[in-house]
Amino acid sequence: MTSHSPMERAPWVLKVENLGKVFGPMDSDVLAETGPEIGTSKSSRTGTVVAAWDVNFEVAAGEALGVIGESGSGKSTVMRAIAGDHEASHGAVWLRTRKGDVVNVAAIPDSARRALRVDELAVVYQDAAEGLDLGVTAGGNVADRLTAAGWRNFAEIRHRAAHLLGRTEVPLERMDDIVRQFSGGMRQRVQLAKALANNPPIVLFDEPTTGLDASVAAGVLDLIRDLLTELGIAAVVVSHDFSVIEMLTTRCIVMHHGRVVEEGLTDQLLEDPLHPYSQRLVAAART
Amino acid sequence: MTTDLVLPVLRVRGLRKHFILHNVDGRRVDALHGIDLDVLPGEHLALAGSSGAGKSTLLRCIYRTYLPSEGEVHLRLTTGHEVDLATLSDAEMAGVRGSELGYVSQFLRAEPRRGPLDIVARAGVARGMDLSDARDAAAIALKRLNIDEALWDVYATVLSGGEKQRVNLAAGTISPPRLLLLDEPVSALDPSNREAALDLIADLTSHGVGVLAVFHDLEAMERLATRVVLMADGLISAQGPPTQILSTLTGVSR
Repeated sequence: MTSHSPMERAPWVLKVENLGKVFGPMDSDVLAETGPEIGTSKSSRTGTVVAAWDVNFEVAAGEALGVIGESGSGKSTVMRAIAGDHEASHGAVWLRTRKGDVVNVAAIPDSARRALRVDELAVVYQDAAEGLDLGVTAGGNVADRLTAAGWRNFAEIRHRAAHLLGRTEVPLERMDDIVRQFSGGMRQRVQLAKALANNPPIVLFDEPTTGLDASVAAGVLDLIRDLLTELGIAAVVVSHDFSVIEMLTTRCIVMHHGRVVEEGLTDQLLEDPLHPYSQRLVAAART
Repeated sequence: MTTDLVLPVLRVRGLRKHFILHNVDGRRVDALHGIDLDVLPGEHLALAGSSGAGKSTLLRCIYRTYLPSEGEVHLRLTTGHEVDLATLSDAEMAGVRGSELGYVSQFLRAEPRRGPLDIVARAGVARGMDLSDARDAAAIALKRLNIDEALWDVYATVLSGGEKQRVNLAAGTISPPRLLLLDEPVSALDPSNREAALDLIADLTSHGVGVLAVFHDLEAMERLATRVVLMADGLISAQGPPTQILSTLTGVSR
């Protein structure tokens, strides 16, 4: 590999390094007893679950990386470790903040992590109940994120919330409705508005359209795609659905039993998957 | 002679590609057996040969939709630097695609729920044009390829095969890259639309774009190619001026 690239690349804003999440006792044999070759992420000897191991990737501004795999592959574990919802047991999750500081999400106090979640990194969950307070209005949910970031002026907050909800195509007349009364697709739009409230440089999407009707999912996907191209966000998109990954990302990693089995350009992974598991996954998606 | 100083935009050396089909008892399929090839700026190189000869595989290996198994694929960038596309990182490869390297396939693989004008304009923006210039250029390209203006803002998925193919060609050639890979870009077009498309492709080379193309028909190759490379069984079997190579082909039924 050449030491110096002639192409200028934007520096990473998110860098996941040797990330691991292990539940249970860890010793030197557990890794050999788990993984895609063994066909399980749970050691039969110790009962230890290696939910994710040795995950590495970088994402730059304006770039979207996909993480694909079936249930239990470890993809959501990776996402939650980045978001700080779960603490990683190994490795580092580096964020470059807007001020230019580099911090390891896996090694900072909870209070600092909560502050990062307000300013630097947002998550859009599959289940809107995780990202929203369903008992609060749409406007209130967005305002909540703004006040957490230090916004105090009521009129300004309301104006900003209305702008964000407009951007994510939530009808203005529904701004003061309780989110619990919203449909699934509309809840995802409110989640998006809330996630974007403070212009975070990094947004994580965890199965953002899973569980929605096809036509509703298409609308939400279109919206996410447009937002990604317009806002220059660094995005990580976790999904089991190749069509979502194909539409939103240029690069992706494939996870299976807690390990990354393949990484590549998204079109290459779809057209020329090399790993046996990726080939099975693509073949299944194409039928 | 100044022409001696023209360096190839593409240099392929010892390119091999095989597929291991893990779902079919691990079977190995060898598609390319060692390809050496140069494309100069402003040159239109046509790949000829029967189906299964490896023409599309070669294009896909250059674009990295297929990962080359062995060999080198050197692309000379606008900066004058050469990069090996076979070993470039995924992120860098994503950056090379667009302004430096383009690929137009037989089928429109546009994002769903977008109209032709939007698709073509966005392709221009992806190559560094500003949005209003890109929209103007997109309108010109669509007009030139005879896409009815009434269709410019309807979802491209409802267009006919021939319309989709022309939208695809317009998107691929707006603010063209340094090297353009074309895989049967006019296969679904009727004679008059085909004529407009071939005309547009001919313009590319006169603007210095290097073109590596696969065409179904000999006539298109005869008209556009500055050189023809004949492939058979994953290897280059002959190359030379179109008149010379294509005359041997007409003898063997194609």
